[in-house]
Order: sequence, then structure tokens, then C-alpha cells
Amino acid sequence: MRVMRICLVGLGAVGQGFLRAVQMKGEYLRERYGLDIRFTGVADSSGALHDPDGLDIRGVLEHKKRAGLGSHPSGYEGMTGDELLDEAEYDCLVEATPTNIEDGEPGRSLVLKAMGDGKHVVTSNKGHLALFYSELMEAASEAGVEFMFEASVGGAMPIINLARETLASCTIESVIGILNGTTNFILSRMASEGSSYRQALIEAQELGIAETNPAQDVEGTDAACKAVIIANSILGRPCTLRDVRVEGITGITQGAIELAAQEGYLIKLIAEISGDRLEVGPRLVRMGSPYAVDGTLNMATLRTDLAGEVTAVGRGAGSLETASAMLTDTITIWRKSGGR
Amino acid sequence: MRLNLVIELRDAPGQLVSVLEPLGSTGVNIVTVIHERDREYGPVVPVQLTVEGDRETLDAAIGRLQEQGVNIIEMDGAPLREKFTTILIGDIAEGDLQETVEAVNSVQGASVLDLSLRMSEGRSAARITFEAEHGSRDEVLRRINEAAMERNLLLVSEV
Repeated sequence: MRVMRICLVGLGAVGQGFLRAVQMKGEYLRERYGLDIRFTGVADSSGALHDPDGLDIRGVLEHKKRAGLGSHPSGYEGMTGDELLDEAEYDCLVEATPTNIEDGEPGRSLVLKAMGDGKHVVTSNKGHLALFYSELMEAASEAGVEFMFEASVGGAMPIINLARETLASCTIESVIGILNGTTNFILSRMASEGSSYRQALIEAQELGIAETNPAQDVEGTDAACKAVIIANSILGRPCTLRDVRVEGITGITQGAIELAAQEGYLIKLIAEISGDRLEVGPRLVRMGSPYAVDGTLNMATLRTDLAGEVTAVGRGAGSLETASAMLTDTITIWRKSGGR
Repeated sequence: MRLNLVIELRDAPGQLVSVLEPLGSTGVNIVTVIHERDREYGPVVPVQLTVEGDRETLDAAIGRLQEQGVNIIEMDGAPLREKFTTILIGDIAEGDLQETVEAVNSVQGASVLDLSLRMSEGRSAARITFEAEHGSRDEVLRRINEAAMERNLLLVSEV
């Protein structure tokens, strides 16, 4: 059995989900992969904790329920993620800081620093990938480390690894899919309940599916970030967020949804990524087709040269679901670096 | 070589003969004709044809059908005419729809089949279903998109 030391930066829903997932699957990871994950550093926006022998995950989670890490008895108040990376001893950075589409920070600096120090990186963050994909991949390649980001696109829906590993023999010609669960929930409610856009948005906010400021979701930016990551990583098409043609769902009316339904269609926010298209916008999809997924589900159809069309469906959000993708990436890194 | 075609004919006496005679004169061998008039199809009836000949003769036969204005729906299983639905959303005036319909009709081989409007204050919605020859769908969509952008309307097209 070998130990993998992890530094986790960002302790929001996804970061906490990752801690819980490792806690739940600890025995499974040891038995199945001979992998003993040890958290040697954890940081949130209030401070950090580190211990080369490993932190008590349960204690961290219990404290986090009440307050930030800075106030933990062993915590270093005000210590940033960046400072933590200087202090902690670790093999892999798990980065789960919030998506920032202005400058990709603090995620970009954290990822570059870890790679510069020869550490592997797993991230759920979309901002730095959507803005600086090429730079980050070059840094990983120069440092000879693994950089994995399945959780950044569609939470638990496996698409990056599906394309790169399972469909490794195929050229992927296009990816068309629903990459944002919040807008899919809103449009699903408008279609099934006859709600107005406004009513469906309020319902999504009350259920915690949409944020208080839902702009990034409903205006299509979140899906556009994911489209950029897919374009770069699956189709090998260099681009950034500025290259995506984006239209959100704020203009969709109940009348339009009814007119669509009369002819057997639903309206969905669809991302289309191909050799000549990179766009996100509301589109008509056939009821009963693979695009007709309900609620917060995400889906993507990959058109390939050898395997025809392959469709993946999965939960696009949720802390444990997203953490599952990060943990899978962590296991992949472990196996690539000599684990079983 | 054999070629399977599905063509559309008006449901009127003499239509089939008027197509088969000139088709035969191009030199193709007409192998089968399936013509189901007893089913409810509306004003046009689909007719399945299998013709045989060399590549040049088959090309000539297709050319002859097109000269006669016969609508070929399918060639060897591939649809040649496709239906497509779009929805426009926004402050839609009657003139906007008329011009959008004209934009579709101006593309050769394309026509508007159906138009439905749902008026409401500020943001109305219109559904336009059109039919176009295989290969001209993108051109039709480009023109609808242009028309929508000029009028500040949101276009929702099929995946």
C-alpha cells in the first residue's frame, strides 16, 4: 500500500464533497487500488490547515459546518491556498476554488504553482481552463505532471475521459449536448408545469439549484466555459471563452415552449462544438430523443468516425456527484504513476 | 446499377404515366413501381421506384425527373427533402413574418409549410416549418437567421 498526499484548496460544496467521498470510499480505495489517500493540507477562503502525517477529515468537515478553517484550533488564520502550497508536503493538488471568468484566479496561479513544483493537479474549476487552456496544458507538459479536469464539464457525466480513453480509437467530429443543469431544470419546469421563465427561475433558486445571482447559468456563460474545455480537450481546437457564440435562455417564453410542444419539440440550452461551430444557445430537440433529458441532468452526444454516435448522460452538479469525477481523476493519476 | 427512388406525385389521373414514359425514354430499366393510392396521403402520393442502368443513364433519368418538376423525396434511402422547424421569439410584427417567409421561399427548392403565431405583449413567438431540398437547409437557416437578426428576434432552430 502506498500513500498519496493531497492538498485540497477550496472547501465549498465540491471541496467538502471530495472530502466526504474519500471518507466514504477509503476502504474501497485501499482494497481495490492499494491507494491510501491522506490529506496533508486543506484551505478555504478564511485560512488553512496542514500536517505532513495527514489531517483528520471528520474533524475538518465538522468544523467547516460551523466556521471557516482559519478558526480551527490547528488552523492558520488568513493563510491563502498559495501559501499553503509552500508549506504543505503533497503529491497532488485538488483544486476546487470558485470559477472566475474574469482572470481565472485564484485557480490559475494555484494550478501553475503546483505544476511548477512538479505536483499533479485535479480540478473542478472551469474559469482558468476556459481562459488559459493552452497555457495550463503546456505547463503540465513541461513539468511532466498529470492535469485532469473531468469534473469541470458536466459534474458526474463522464465525457472528457470517455472521449480520450474509451473512444481513443476514434476521431471525435462533434460534441452536442446539454451542459448546464440549472437551465435544463428551468426549461423542463416551463415545459411540464406551464410556468413562466420567472416562476421557474424562482423555483430553481428556492430548491438551491440556481444561485441568487443566476447570470452565469441563464445567460449561457457556464455552458460556454464547458464548450471551450470540450473544444480544446476533445476536438483539439484551440479557443477561449471569447470565441464562443453565446445566447442564454432569458428570452424563452411560455408561448414559444407551447408552440414547440405542439410539433413534438422541447426547447433546451444546447452547446454545439464541431470543426466550424462553437456555440451555446436555445435549440429545438425532439421529444423522446437523447437530448430530451429532464431536470438537472446533463447529456452529450459525441459523433465519431468509427463508433458512430455515443451519448453520455449524468448528473451535472451536486457535491458528491462532482466529487466522484475528481476522485476518479485522482485514481487515474495514481494508476498512471505506478499504482495498480 | 440499381437506384431506389421515392418520388411525390399529385393524386390525379395520368400522373404516373406522365412520369414513367419520359423516364423509360432515357434508357433506364424500370424494375419496380410501388404506388399505394388506397392509403390516406393527402394531395400527393409517395411512389417508390427502382430503376436500373449505368451511372450515366441513371443521372440522365434523375435529370429528366427534375426537369419535369417531380419532387424526389428519397434517393437510395437518403432523404432529399427535409422538413425543419424554427421558432422566432420577440416583438414580432406581421411584416416580420411575411419577410421571413419570403426569405425562405427565395431559396430554390425551399418552401414554408406551416406558420403558427402566439401573440403576447412584448414577446410573441412564431413557429415556422419549412421544407427544403437536401443540401439547401443551411442556406434557408442562414436567411432566416439574417431576417431574425435584422429584426432583433431570437431564433431557435432544431439541433
